[in-house]
Amino acid sequence: MVEVVLEKVSRKFGGFVAVDDVDLAVRRGEFVTLLGASGCGKTTTLRMVAGLERATSGRISIDGEIVEDAERNIHAPAERRRLGMVFQSYAIWPHMSVFGNVAYPLQIRRRPKAEIATKVAAALRLVEMDRFVDRPATALSGGQQQRVAIARALVFEPTVLLLDEPLSNLDARLRAQTGDEFRALQKRLNIATLYVTHDQSEAMALSDRVVVMHGGRALQIGPPEDLYRRPASAAVASFFGAPNLLAARVTACQRDGDCFRLSLDGETWSGGGCAARDFAVGEPALAIVRPENIRWGDAPSGAAVWKGEVQASVFRGATRSLHIATASGLLRVEAPALASFAVGAQTQFWTGEEGVWVVPPDHASGS
Amino acid sequence: MSAVDERRSGPGALASLRLRYSRTFGMAALIALLAFLSLYPVSMLLFGSFHTTPPGVAGAFDLAGYREVFTSETGLVLLNTVGISLAKTIPSLALAALLAWIVARTDTPARGVLEALVTLPFFIPPILTAMAWGMLGNPQVGAVNQAWRWITGSQAALFNVYSYGGVVWHMMQYSTPFLFLFIVEAFRAMDPSLEEASRMCGASQGQTLRRITLTLMLPALTTGFLLSFIRGLENFESPLFFGTPVKIQVVTTLIYDSINQRSVPEYEFATAMSFAVLALMCLLVFWQWRLLGARSFQTVTGKAYAPRLIKLGPWRWATFAICVLFFVVAVVLPVGQLLAGSMFRFFGFYSWDMLTLDHWTEAFDNSDIRRGFLNTLALGLAGATLTMILGGIVAYVSVRTRWQGRRIVDILAWLPWMMPGMVLGVGFLWGFALLPGPVSIYGTIWALLIAYVALGTPLSTRVMSSSYHQLAYDLEECARVHGAGFWRTLWSIVVALSWPSFAVGWVLTFFGIMRELSASILLYSAGSEVLSVVLLRLWGNGQSEVVSVVGLCTMALVLLFRWAQARFLARAVATG
Repeated sequence: MVEVVLEKVSRKFGGFVAVDDVDLAVRRGEFVTLLGASGCGKTTTLRMVAGLERATSGRISIDGEIVEDAERNIHAPAERRRLGMVFQSYAIWPHMSVFGNVAYPLQIRRRPKAEIATKVAAALRLVEMDRFVDRPATALSGGQQQRVAIARALVFEPTVLLLDEPLSNLDARLRAQTGDEFRALQKRLNIATLYVTHDQSEAMALSDRVVVMHGGRALQIGPPEDLYRRPASAAVASFFGAPNLLAARVTACQRDGDCFRLSLDGETWSGGGCAARDFAVGEPALAIVRPENIRWGDAPSGAAVWKGEVQASVFRGATRSLHIATASGLLRVEAPALASFAVGAQTQFWTGEEGVWVVPPDHASGS
Repeated sequence: MSAVDERRSGPGALASLRLRYSRTFGMAALIALLAFLSLYPVSMLLFGSFHTTPPGVAGAFDLAGYREVFTSETGLVLLNTVGISLAKTIPSLALAALLAWIVARTDTPARGVLEALVTLPFFIPPILTAMAWGMLGNPQVGAVNQAWRWITGSQAALFNVYSYGGVVWHMMQYSTPFLFLFIVEAFRAMDPSLEEASRMCGASQGQTLRRITLTLMLPALTTGFLLSFIRGLENFESPLFFGTPVKIQVVTTLIYDSINQRSVPEYEFATAMSFAVLALMCLLVFWQWRLLGARSFQTVTGKAYAPRLIKLGPWRWATFAICVLFFVVAVVLPVGQLLAGSMFRFFGFYSWDMLTLDHWTEAFDNSDIRRGFLNTLALGLAGATLTMILGGIVAYVSVRTRWQGRRIVDILAWLPWMMPGMVLGVGFLWGFALLPGPVSIYGTIWALLIAYVALGTPLSTRVMSSSYHQLAYDLEECARVHGAGFWRTLWSIVVALSWPSFAVGWVLTFFGIMRELSASILLYSAGSEVLSVVLLRLWGNGQSEVVSVVGLCTMALVLLFRWAQARFLARAVATG
C-alpha cells in the first residue's frame, strides 16, 4: 500500500529552482529520509507534502487521493490533508498546558470530552510523557517538548507523519537516544514517515530508504547500506564519510550478476573494482575507496597498492586516522586504534576488488 | 568589586579608595538630581493640595481642596474620563492589531511603505491634527460635512466633531499608531511554525488566528491596552479642543480650567485633584504590574525565522486598502485641510477667487510665532540631549553596575511615568515658586526645560537600558582586561555600541517635546511661549488660517526628522 506519492514535483521561487522534478513513493510503514545540506530543497519538499507550500509543477497524492496538482490547479490546504507533523522548533504552543497542546487536534475535530481525555493519555503514554499532563508548556525541556510534539502529531491517528529535523535542537547524547526510541515507536505504529535531516548518521540509523538531495534534485534513492556501498556518484559517496576519490581508466569490464567487475589503471596503481553500470574499455572513471577498507602490509595479488609516507596519525579513540602521502596524492586511512604507525615511516597500503567502487567521473554523472 | 579592591595594597589601594569616594559622590549627586525632577514636584503637590492660597503667597492649610475633589460632580468628571478613554482604547486596539497583523504577517503589497505611513500619525503633534479636525469636522463649514451635503444633497451634517464622538475620534488617530508600534514587533517575532502546527492539526486559518495567533499575542495586547488606557486618561488636547466648547469635561481639562479659566484661580482644588489623579495612576500602574507579572509567553526565541507570510490571494488588496485608508484619514485629510486652510482667505469658503498667500507672509512676520518656534526648537534640542544623557547614565547605573543605591536611581527616574504632563506641571508650578535661593526658575524658559527633562526621563531610561541589555558583558569586560580604564571603556565600548538607540531615543524625546502642551501651558510665561502654546492662543483668537501655516511647517519638520530617522537609523524602538 503506497501512502504518499510525489510525481515530478518542482518548486520555483522566481528564477530559483528549490525543488527540481522529484519523484518519490513512501509505502505504508516505511521510514523515508530526505537527506541533504541546507538549501538543497529537502524542507521545501516536505512542506509541499504538508500543504504549507505550493508546488509549481507536478503532482502529490496521499492515500490514493490527489492533494496537489499544479497543472490542474488543485491544492488541498494543510488542514485537509490529515497529516501529523513535527516541526524543527517543535512549535509547542506556550499558552497551553501539555494536555492542551496534545488535545488541540481532537478539539478542532469536535470529539467528545471523554474520548479526548483517553486519546491524549494514550498518546502521552506512547512518548512516556504521561506524568507531565498538567505542566505548562513553557516548563518543558527541549527533549520533553519534542516528545509532546510527537504526541500531538500522532494523537489523531494520521496515516502519514512528517518530521522536519526534529532532533537538530537536542544535544548529541539525547539525539541518539531519542532517534532510537522514535524509530521503535514508528515501527510499532507502522506509520508512513517522511523525515528531513542534514545528519547522515541519523539518516542511516533510522531510515528504510534515504533520498540524497542536492540542488533541488534527488541524486539517489535507496536503502542506507546501498547508498553507502554502491553510491551512484561521487557526490552521493561524499555525503557519507570522507571517501578517497581516485581518477582511473577502465582496462577491462565484465558483467557479474547484478554488477560489473572492472580492471582499473590509476596514476601509479592498478587493481580491480566493482560498478553498477557498464564501462567501455579506455573510459575514464572515478574509484571510490573508503578509508576503513584500506589494509596495510603485504598485498595479495590483484589488489590495488599504494606506497607512501605516514604524514599524520590522529588517535580518535575507537579508530586511528592516517594521512598518507602517495604518488597519486593524499590517501586517508582509518586503522584500528591500537595499530601503531610512526609519522614519517614508509608503508605499503592496499585494498582488494571489493573495496573499490567505480563511478563515472563527476562531470559525466550529471549531478 | 570593592571587596577585591580592598585586598590590594600599595598604590592600588589609594587609587581604589579615591575611586570609591568619587563614585559615592557621583551617586549622591545623581540621586539628588533625580529627586529634584520627580520626588520634589510630588511632595510639592502634596504640600500645595492643603494650601489655601496660590503658590508663593502666604496662606493657611486646610482640607477644602480635597473636600471639593470628593464630590459627585468631580466623580462624574472622573467617570467621564474613564469612559472616554475606554471608548477610544478598545477600537484603537482592534484596529492596531489588524494593521500590525497585515504589516507583519501577510503578503500585502508594499508592507514596508505601509508601516511607515501607518506609524506617521504618532509623530505628528496632536494639537495640529486637533486643529485640522476642528476645521474638517465643523458641523457648518467643515470640509467633510460640506462634501457630505454636496454628495447626498441633505441639509444635515454628517458629524459634529465637537462631541464625545469627536473627542474619541481624535484620540484614536494618535493611539492607533502608538498601539501599532507597541505590538507589531510581537507579531513579527512570532514563530510561524506555531501557526503552521495548528494548520497541520486540522485547524482552518480562521481557527488558527483565533486560537493560536491572537491568544499568543494576548500579553502584548493587554499591556498595550493598559498603556493606551492610561494615556487616554492623561490626554489633554482632544478634550480641550472638542470637549470644552460643548461642556464635556475630563480631569485634565478640569485641572486646567480651575487654574486658567476661573476669575479666581482655584489652586488648592486643582492641586488636590492632581494629587488624586497621581494616586489613581499609581494604583493603575501597580495593577498592570500584578496582572502582567504572572503571564509572559516566551514566543520570541533567539532563532531566526524564515519570514513565512500568510498568502491572502486577492484579499491582499483589501488589506492594502485598509492601511491606505487609515493613512488617508489620519494624515492626508488633516494635512490637506491645513494646506487648504493656509491658502484660502477665509476658513470654510473654498473658491478660486479666495486663494491667497497672505497668511504665509503674515505667519512669517508674526514675532510671537517666530519666538515660539525658536523656543520650541531650542528646548527640543537641549531637552532631548539632556534627557538622553540622563537616561543613558541612569540606565547604565541600574543595568550594568552593582553600585549601592542603583535601585533608588531606577525608581526615581521612573516616577514621572505615573504623572500626566498636567499633574507634573502643577507640581513644578508649586516647586518653582517655593524654591528658595537667589536663582529664580519660575516664569523662565528653564522651568519648561526642567519639566521636559523630567517627563522624558522614563522613556529615555527605558530605551537606553534595553540597548544595554543587548550588549554582552564580555565586550565591556574584555576592554577592561585589555587595559582600558572605566571612562575609556564607557566611551569606546558602551557609547560606541549603543549610540543608535541613543539617536532613536533622542528623536522620540524631541518629538515628545514638540507635541507637549499640558505641562507647557501651565509653566510658560511671557517670552517663554512654545509653539504649541502660541498655536493654541492663535486658535482661540480664531486665526485658524495662520495656524494652518504654522501647522504645515511643523508637519514638514516632523517629516524631515522621520525621514532622517528611517534613513540613518535602524528600526525605531517601540515606545512605552
